[in-house]
Amino acid sequence: MLDAFSRAVVAADSKTSPIGGEELASLKGFIAEGNKRLDAVNAIASNASCIVSDAVAGMICENTGLIQAGGNCYPNRRMAACLRDGEIVLRYITYALLSGDASVLEDRCLNGLKETYTALGVPLQSTGRAVGIMKAASIAHINNSNTEGNGGKRFRKMEMINGDCASISSEAASYFDRVISALS
Amino acid sequence: MKSVVTTVVTAADAAGRFPTTSDLESVQGSLQRASARLEAAEKLAANLDQVAQEAYDACIKKYSYLNNQGEANSTDTFKSKCLRDIKHYMRLVNYCLVVGGTGPLDEWGIAGQREVYRALNLPTAPYVEALTFARNRGCAPRDMSSQALVEYNSLLDYAINSLS
Repeated sequence: MLDAFSRAVVAADSKTSPIGGEELASLKGFIAEGNKRLDAVNAIASNASCIVSDAVAGMICENTGLIQAGGNCYPNRRMAACLRDGEIVLRYITYALLSGDASVLEDRCLNGLKETYTALGVPLQSTGRAVGIMKAASIAHINNSNTEGNGGKRFRKMEMINGDCASISSEAASYFDRVISALS
Repeated sequence: MKSVVTTVVTAADAAGRFPTTSDLESVQGSLQRASARLEAAEKLAANLDQVAQEAYDACIKKYSYLNNQGEANSTDTFKSKCLRDIKHYMRLVNYCLVVGGTGPLDEWGIAGQREVYRALNLPTAPYVEALTFARNRGCAPRDMSSQALVEYNSLLDYAINSLS
């Protein structure tokens, strides 16, 4: 498993050159923006069960066949498995976001996931849709841009200092996109 | 590769939980200390060739028998390889400063080091002398800030200990 720093080290080692100048500048940026990263991880982790259950519920609303007899979310047992998997995927995405590198997500979550789902008969398109909803919800939590209109009576605003979160939210989005493309 | 972040993530993954507040706190702690490390890494990277050359010269000066025929520093090829080895150690120290742990030195320097030097019939004392020279050569604030120098010296100490 690598993080942003060890990724730079592995890249430099392949050229047998020390790390200086440009690479160090980007790592310094990582440190300077570190608090945004920690806030972003906290925003997802603190709302994880909400993000996951909304995503699975949204996926089912768009395709109600999933909870009818024969559907892939039909008995509670399979619905529970679906919720559990959503939480696992989101958890690995928070790990990747915390370390600033996708290797933990790739190695421990996505490697072989598509083959496993195909073998188990899990519909990949629905899974991808659920991850897409998790992405939208997580980005809204990171940017703190959700409103009472979006959240309804369960709306809860996190108290944090607002700033420019464009780069961290696009980084988070890239990890969700990685999951979606691994499943399609 | 082991670092504060990967250690935290491994522990959280083993427990199957999201990163907790205390996980985030420990990552933040390492980020706060990181600027000194990166300063040392930057200064070392900029002057790595000179630092290695001085350390190499110092160890050859102390162990001048290495220049005798048949010894490890006798031919031009051997000389350049000796200097290259010192550069390798300095480069790994640079990596360790970036990562914030001894992972690169452990994995790429120390693992198998004893066996290699024994197989090639190389003495380790000159390496120790070269690294010790580098360790005592650094000076704050001439070369880097004192906190950066502490991080740099402690990694050199780690490398020296592995050889002695």
